Amino acid sequence: MLVLIVQLAFAQEKTISGTVADDTGLPLPGVNIIIKGTSTGTQSDFDGNYTIEAAVGQTLVYSYVGFDTQEIAVGASNKMDVTMQAGSVLDEVVVTALGISREKQSLGYSTQQVAGEDLATVKTSNFTNGLSGKVAGLQIRRNNNFGGSTNVVIRGITSLTGDNQALFVVDGVPISNLNTNNPNQKNSSAGNYYDYGNAAADINPDDIESVNVLKGAAASALYGSRAGNGVIIITTKRGKKAKGLGVTINSNAQVGFVDKSTFAEYQSNYGAGYGGEAFTSEDINGDGIDDVVANYLDDASYGPSFNGQLIYQWDSFDPASPNYRTRTPWVNSPNGAITFFETPITLTNSISISNGMEKGSYRMSYTKLDQSGLLPNSQIDRHNFIFSGNFEMSDRMTASGFANYIKTDALGRNSTGYNDNVVGNFKQWWQTNVDVQQQWDIYNSTKRNIGWNPGSSEPGASPIYWDNPYWTRYENYQNDSRSRFLGNFELNYKLADWVNITGRVATDTYNEQQEERRAVGSVPTSFGITRGNVDSGYLRRDITVTETNYDLMFNFDADISESISLAGILGTNIRRDEFNSLTNSTAGGLVVPGLYSIQNSRNSIPNSQEVAQKRGVDGVYASASLGFGNVVYLDGTIRRDDFSTLPDEESAFYYPSVSTSFVFSKLMNVNAISFGKLRLNYAKVGNGAPPDKLFDTYVINTDTGTSVPSTSNNQFLRPEFTTSYEAGIEMRFINNRVGFDFSYYKSNSEDQIVEVPIAESTGYSRKLLNAGEIENKGFEISLNATPVKTDNFSWMLMGNFTQNKSEVISLPEGVEVFELARYQGGVRINAVPGEPYGVIYGADYVYNDNGQRVVGANGKYLRTGPNEKIGDTNPDWLMGITNTLNYKNWSFSFLIDVQQGGAVFSLDQYYGQATGLYGESDYINDLGNPVRNTIENGGGFINPGVLEDGTPNTTRVDASEFGQFGYAAFPQSEFVYDASYVKLRQASLSYSMPSKFLDNTFMTGLQFTVTGSNLWIIDKNTPYADPESGLSSGNSQGYITGSLPTTQDYGFNIKAQF
Amino acid sequence: MKKLILILTAAVFAVSCSDNLEDLNQNIKDPTQVSGESLFASAQKQLADQITTPNVNLNNTRLWVQHWQETTYPDESNYDQATRPIPDNHWRELYRDVLRDLKEASKNITATDNDITNPLKPNKLAIIEVLNVYAWSNLVETYGNVPYTEALDIENLLPKYDDGMTIYKDLIVRLTAAINSMDTSKGSFSSDVEKIYSGDVASWKKFANTLKLRMGIILADADNATAKAAVESAVASGVFTSNADDAGYAYTAAPNGNPLNDNLVLSNRNDYVAGKTIIDIMNTLEDPRRGSFFTDVNGEYIGGVIGDQTVYSDYSHVTPSILGGDYPGWFLQYAETEFLLAEAAARGYNVGGSAESHYVAGITASFDFWGADGLAGYLANPAVVYNSGAWRESIGTQAWLALYNRTFASWLSVRRLDFPVLVEPIAAESGYPVRYPYPVSEINLNPNNYAEAASAIGGDATETRLFWDKFDNTWGF
Repeated sequence: MLVLIVQLAFAQEKTISGTVADDTGLPLPGVNIIIKGTSTGTQSDFDGNYTIEAAVGQTLVYSYVGFDTQEIAVGASNKMDVTMQAGSVLDEVVVTALGISREKQSLGYSTQQVAGEDLATVKTSNFTNGLSGKVAGLQIRRNNNFGGSTNVVIRGITSLTGDNQALFVVDGVPISNLNTNNPNQKNSSAGNYYDYGNAAADINPDDIESVNVLKGAAASALYGSRAGNGVIIITTKRGKKAKGLGVTINSNAQVGFVDKSTFAEYQSNYGAGYGGEAFTSEDINGDGIDDVVANYLDDASYGPSFNGQLIYQWDSFDPASPNYRTRTPWVNSPNGAITFFETPITLTNSISISNGMEKGSYRMSYTKLDQSGLLPNSQIDRHNFIFSGNFEMSDRMTASGFANYIKTDALGRNSTGYNDNVVGNFKQWWQTNVDVQQQWDIYNSTKRNIGWNPGSSEPGASPIYWDNPYWTRYENYQNDSRSRFLGNFELNYKLADWVNITGRVATDTYNEQQEERRAVGSVPTSFGITRGNVDSGYLRRDITVTETNYDLMFNFDADISESISLAGILGTNIRRDEFNSLTNSTAGGLVVPGLYSIQNSRNSIPNSQEVAQKRGVDGVYASASLGFGNVVYLDGTIRRDDFSTLPDEESAFYYPSVSTSFVFSKLMNVNAISFGKLRLNYAKVGNGAPPDKLFDTYVINTDTGTSVPSTSNNQFLRPEFTTSYEAGIEMRFINNRVGFDFSYYKSNSEDQIVEVPIAESTGYSRKLLNAGEIENKGFEISLNATPVKTDNFSWMLMGNFTQNKSEVISLPEGVEVFELARYQGGVRINAVPGEPYGVIYGADYVYNDNGQRVVGANGKYLRTGPNEKIGDTNPDWLMGITNTLNYKNWSFSFLIDVQQGGAVFSLDQYYGQATGLYGESDYINDLGNPVRNTIENGGGFINPGVLEDGTPNTTRVDASEFGQFGYAAFPQSEFVYDASYVKLRQASLSYSMPSKFLDNTFMTGLQFTVTGSNLWIIDKNTPYADPESGLSSGNSQGYITGSLPTTQDYGFNIKAQF
Repeated sequence: MKKLILILTAAVFAVSCSDNLEDLNQNIKDPTQVSGESLFASAQKQLADQITTPNVNLNNTRLWVQHWQETTYPDESNYDQATRPIPDNHWRELYRDVLRDLKEASKNITATDNDITNPLKPNKLAIIEVLNVYAWSNLVETYGNVPYTEALDIENLLPKYDDGMTIYKDLIVRLTAAINSMDTSKGSFSSDVEKIYSGDVASWKKFANTLKLRMGIILADADNATAKAAVESAVASGVFTSNADDAGYAYTAAPNGNPLNDNLVLSNRNDYVAGKTIIDIMNTLEDPRRGSFFTDVNGEYIGGVIGDQTVYSDYSHVTPSILGGDYPGWFLQYAETEFLLAEAAARGYNVGGSAESHYVAGITASFDFWGADGLAGYLANPAVVYNSGAWRESIGTQAWLALYNRTFASWLSVRRLDFPVLVEPIAAESGYPVRYPYPVSEINLNPNNYAEAASAIGGDATETRLFWDKFDNTWGF
């Protein structure tokens, strides 16, 4: 903001004074008032008052960021009060890199804003989920895990194995979005791991003023390497002069209901067993004669048909059971697996106080979140305290500070992956005869692990494969707590009118403690540091993460002449971060049941595992922006970063960017076109390596001795670079009633720092190399329209469309296939040259030259080897459409979120169809009989296809027992599903009390909102699951096993302002 | 002035916070140097684990020789080697977790200069060599041609495969050199590091010779001259002479417990029952060792149909006596030795004694080992009496029985002698596996060398007989 005060004598000047206010009557401080054609001017003061010397006939120009500029001629009166109208988008200002506000029109790169209100409408424990469908180019993949991590990726995956998440910045300070999940949780499907979420989820949406997404590398060259994946800039609410006390209270309650289309729908004809109509024979009632007993050992539903016959079932074995030694009818359970889920309730309450004074402003807020989950015994509580303020110490010096303390406690996150996953149990290995209510009753009354899958019919027998699901939730649960502090302190000094200097220190530090436990008497599974098979145990992980940033910036803003403006930054950033973790566990089980402490270990305590990593980056950067007559802008930036994680010779490198924007509409005088801008940019961003990757260290084994590590590090590492180009056009028509923004981009990431899998005959599994190139190109379109706008009613439409195509251009020399993840079920996610990043490999059907499936002599399909490409995890395109209708004090909006394309492999179907849980293995066949009848009784089916010699297959396979469906008969490609969806993501209806009703009360604002979230999956192709489910955030997506169902959430919110 | 102070303060602030960047990038929690002994300890255990484990992802040889059968999930007894990548896992265990660590152990021990331990170096290096040969010979016997001369070199990401026969002969040469370099008057590793013989060099010498004997016998059908020389020199130098010489890894308890304990006891799972093939043969012979191998079902021994789903409680189970956490993991045994000597004698090698005397000694040793009675009656059974006209059948059958719970050793025996006659699993996914297919990781990551090797051995199929396996199976599948 430039004001050069020059006194010019002018004849017949008089003193003009007045007040400048906005359209609600609130005084506006800092409004620029200039005598047109001169550089004489002033600013309105804190109460909106101003005085200026001007002559009749001169015109005063009133301008203020966010408001329409007004020009008013000086008339006879000496008093000129002005009301400013809230801004057209022309003067829209956005917060860009380093917290610098820029007029959007001057930016040569693509950005998109989301208002804080939009994010705060629907309360979740991870605000990043609220960004889905709202920003073109931003792909949000939530994983449906309770409190789980969300994958936030802008413009595709650029790094083969590194972090591809966007950088989160709060008020100019980068914060950690670390996902501390065990790497095995993310890249494999081994069970007994938990998704601990990503750290950015701590941010409270109620404290967010706005979010600006900087999409390409050019938008972020000033942040250095981490911003190469794009930046999500969060601006928190600041204090401002309030009407009334400045108090806002927000209270929200949200309730969820399981969306049945995302959970299993079982067949209702057959119960426990693998062997068709055969029951088990055992003497249960002790009379020496064998009785008919349900196949309690079998964790499948490929057993006898439900004919209501009285037999002994699992509930007849234990004396504590009401049905001890009693026969019960063999029927489909009235309380199936879906009754296991509870109703999740989320309560969010917050209070904030903000006010502005003459020399500063402040804001304080406290928010409490209480969320209970779908699974029994799950809970997340979060406290969020914020204090932010700024103060003008003198007319040159301003100080501001921000302190945010967040305490999160979580209990009972769901186990992800294959083993020991309750939801996986329900979807893959379950007996349809099990009454879940009975499981609850017996657990609740005895607190013992009496399950539906005991190892024998003896009383007190422990389960063989699966615990009582309530036992799993109430006894073998995890809990974690995180205590986090984000703070910064900034001093800004105005050296001269055209330059100011900012110094800032910021820190983001948290302690996290994770505890996992298994109770004595559980089914043994791999657990603890040694991952040996054990029934009980306790594990504890203590993690500390700290990031500190020191910034010193010189900010220039001058006008070289009347039409040429120059702004620039010269700065340095020093960043230090640290990661420490300590893991301890018991081994061999617990000595004292129910006591979860490390000393309670039956075997000697295994070696603790310690990790300590430090990293530092020293950066120097400069940027210059030239503006020509507010029509053409030219920006250049250059940054030099020195990484501690690279070898000394290669540790520092430069990366530049250039961008230009041309507001061509200002040169045209077409009425219909209110705004038009062309923009182009080029940027190069470099990236260093993760810590400790230069030299090899040995591994101290948890069992015996030491070993050479499996990955060979590389002391000659070089930085990796992403080069990107972007071109875009933004236009608005008919007084901003319609507008669009189109961007096309191409980015290439080269010299990737990659741990490449290598032939293990080298004695290693992986080698760290600089190699590989990934290309991403695509386009984004966002559309805004206000088809109807009257005084009382408006209808706004906003749409986003994203298409990103990635391609692995090359891999390190000698590597033909790069395995990103290997999952249970024989499926791999690979990066292959010429293919998009993240393709699914597994076995496929064998096809003959006519494209027909080939069947073997036994009537079962032939299957290829495990190395066929069977799916592509990347979507073809993404789209989100929001409609907002406003009528007087009412506002209604809904968002439809669409993904087209992408593929997921469902382990649930791979196993569940084989174990006879679903209708795929229970239907009426071509002869009009149940397919599970024996061949003699007209059952079975014929696989459509041909034999190897080309003749049609006529062999009827006998499906009366396990073995003809699911993994037992079909290749993995059969279980790869299209992940497309159309979802009614969000809908909300709000009512703001008109001010006339509030005038007599102490309230200055009152608003009621009703919201719905994930209301309706209008279309999807993944059976019995939500296509967005997954294991974790991270680079391996496209795999579903035992993920939680999606809930339809309904919420009610009251916001009151005083 | 005020301005100046402000700028300077800020600058000083910034500069003082800038600590030395390079110092940050050090892993202060993991070692950059370790003793060769600790590497050896790990390699030895990994090798013991991989030989001993019954885990379906790692080692299904007990199922393939039809000593055991699976219960609920019979995929592996039907030769499924794809759903669980067993060839990949075995390859990785041996190359990465055994051989690479042994190589590093050798390097570190050689580099250590310490007056007290220097005299022990030659013995230590010799023992490392012996384990090297054990591991390499397993790789060749299991896959055929494998990377050897170019392997274990991080600078060579595409190691070529060497000819199996050539490797095997070189291994015998290395073994001989190791044997000759051992000095039984000195010690070697300490007992907390070396868990088979507690570092006793004399025992290791016998072990090495016995290994050489076995390797010679394996070569016998392919290269009789080399085989004869190896066998005779090994016997002359001294092989196992009693059960007390048996080489067993001394497991203790989790995490250093016997993998059988972890997989069959600690997991609380019932994945295995006795195999019908061995039960039928033992029932026919009324073999007194049945009770030592298996539990009975109401006084009878019943074996599960090979390849079929079985109900655990209906069949004989694996005897609990071999499932303790501290049960040893066997590398080589004396009973095994006697059968190898019997075969040597049957082939006309000069090993002292006759084929029959060694045959009987083998059976005797086995009965002793398992603590079974009724030896005399058993030996008198005409079906047991040594038949020199069908020595492959005689030795093959009795060795297979004595090699119960001996994983790779038992699989080697049936592949080589092609007896006893095994039964086709009811849902066999392939012909009888006489080798592991090459790992998928090699197909992907070392494709040209893989392709060459695959064609050199006659096709990368599980049914492709390796260079030492000269005769077809007698069981027709």
